[in-house]
Amino acid sequence: MTGLLKFFGLVHAGISDNKFLWLLIAGFAVFPIVTQLVDLPFWNDVAMRIMLLGMAAMGLNLVLGYGGMVSFGHAAFIGIGAYCVGIGQYYGLMNGWAHILLSVAVCASLGLVIGYLALRTTGIYFIMITLAFAQMLFFLFVSLEQFGGDDGMSIDRAEFLLIDLYEPLRLYFLIWVMLAIVALLLMFIVRSRFGVTLRAIKSNESRVEAMGLVPLHFKITGYVISAVICGLAGSLFASWQEYVSPDIMHWTRSGELMIIIILGGLGTLAGPLLGAIVFLLLEEFLPLMLGALVPAYAENWMVLFGPLLIMVVLFGRGGLVGLIDSKILPHLGLGKTAVK
Amino acid sequence: MMTNPVLELRDITKSFGALTATNNLSLTVMPGEIHALIGPNGAGKTTLIQQIYGALKPDSGQVLLNGRDLTGLSVPARIRAGIGRSFQISNVLMDFTVLQNGIIAEHARLGQSFRFLQPAFSNPQLIDGAIAILDRVGLSSRADTMVSDLAHGERRMLELALAMAASPSLLLLDEPMAGAGPDDGQRMTEIIDGLRGDVAILLIEHDMDAVFRLADRLTVLVEGSVIAAGTVDEISTNQAVKTAYLGDED
Ligand SMILES: Nc1ncnc2c1ncn2[C@@H]1O[C@H](COP(=O)(O)OP(=O)(O)OP(=O)(O)O)[C@@H](O)[C@H]1O
Ligand SMILES: [Mg+2]
Repeated sequence: MTGLLKFFGLVHAGISDNKFLWLLIAGFAVFPIVTQLVDLPFWNDVAMRIMLLGMAAMGLNLVLGYGGMVSFGHAAFIGIGAYCVGIGQYYGLMNGWAHILLSVAVCASLGLVIGYLALRTTGIYFIMITLAFAQMLFFLFVSLEQFGGDDGMSIDRAEFLLIDLYEPLRLYFLIWVMLAIVALLLMFIVRSRFGVTLRAIKSNESRVEAMGLVPLHFKITGYVISAVICGLAGSLFASWQEYVSPDIMHWTRSGELMIIIILGGLGTLAGPLLGAIVFLLLEEFLPLMLGALVPAYAENWMVLFGPLLIMVVLFGRGGLVGLIDSKILPHLGLGKTAVK
Repeated sequence: MMTNPVLELRDITKSFGALTATNNLSLTVMPGEIHALIGPNGAGKTTLIQQIYGALKPDSGQVLLNGRDLTGLSVPARIRAGIGRSFQISNVLMDFTVLQNGIIAEHARLGQSFRFLQPAFSNPQLIDGAIAILDRVGLSSRADTMVSDLAHGERRMLELALAMAASPSLLLLDEPMAGAGPDDGQRMTEIIDGLRGDVAILLIEHDMDAVFRLADRLTVLVEGSVIAAGTVDEISTNQAVKTAYLGDED
């Protein structure tokens, strides 16, 4: 058993970040029981949204956190994934697995093309180019009247063999299983030879080159993997929302993903998911709380939200995961657990 | 019997605008030889290394490694062809431990960097390989130290270890002692001395004691041109060199 654990790198350094991630995922598995007990099924809906955005953020984190590539256009891949379901259904393709395969294939090809072109630039130019590609795709879908244009198109929950997504909690656990698969995949990738090379490129690209490796190849591969994960989240998002419009790939969502990652902890496994939980809960609760305190300002909850985010970023270097790691765990006598 | 040079530079010229940084320069480095390249600041030493390494393209001339013309090859391709390099400003993976630096160099050497499943840093074969890489410069006792916590001289030694990781046929060392204290400089000199015979070395160094101790042959560069080349004895008695360069020393 320990041999097996060793093989998967679970005994070596990095166990806490792994553990934390799986703790959160386990939490999502039992969450429906809680909502059942307190009779608040609405919260399952919030949890699904959190898992979906968390999944997309985990995908983006591979390039943003581990690879140091500030892509400002990943919402486009969520949108493409969602439209693969919508357009697939439009042409009579009802099978959910087929939608997922389609979105993986389309996002991988698109990620390859955009990555190949955009990764020739760095810094601010890379940010602008990824944003530009995403905006192109956004306006492409706005202009496609056939698929609802601006108004979008409604979607039936996809048919997954033997799984009727209209049954209660089926969609919830489909999303949960996909989230767990993505988490497992990323856990392997970031510790693998490929993953550490990607992290080395972020640390010092010219040394990696001096080792005889071509950094661009690793960056493009990472970019494609992250695009595919966002596409997968997007296809599930479509079934959850039963609707897709260009709004799903609005540039503000790309920004939202970045905030979620930075909030949770850049370059950690648990960070994006934790960030999604906190971000979406604040989005849900802050207006209510503010409304109760000063009703006139309920609409302006962003005024509180912004400074709150800035505080986490400034004081909790390493985001919430870093904060928990350096400030909270030691107080509980659990010692500092390296996130690395 | 004739031996072929490891590195042969043929009539290399490189200009930046009006400035000729490399002027019709030819030079050879023989197998197992330590060839020192000296010259005042701005003489064009780093620029020459960059052209051998592939980061800069010469305007004209050829770089041959073991008889093979490297023209058109990228930096990583030249590394795989047998070049190792340390930089004037130390260039290592700061956010990793010493051992992790070695592990990444090891799987790069083995061409295994595109593997996605097994964790890299706990792989026993890679750890063994990395330890062997670090042992060359006596750094394996510091394996678990973060590179950012290393003394500057130790970082220079790590960089040398990484440059040697793939057992290159040519090592380009751009001021390997720069920034290291006298003790580390001394250790570095001994380590480079120990590499003599295993690998051909083109060494840029301002520390004349180290150069005179290490170099089998010397090339003196001033304003992009070779003003003298020969053995240590020949160069140290050369009048042109004395006035142009060594004169400044004392
Ligand atoms: N990319 C560049 N563009 C323009 N000029 C350059 C460039 N790189 C180097 N130079 C100039 O070329 C000349 C040679 O520079 P180089 O760095 O090769 O000198 P060096 O011999 O390595 O000096 P040092 O001993 O200070 O390291 C200098 O005058 C420098 O300013
Ligand atoms: Mg220089």
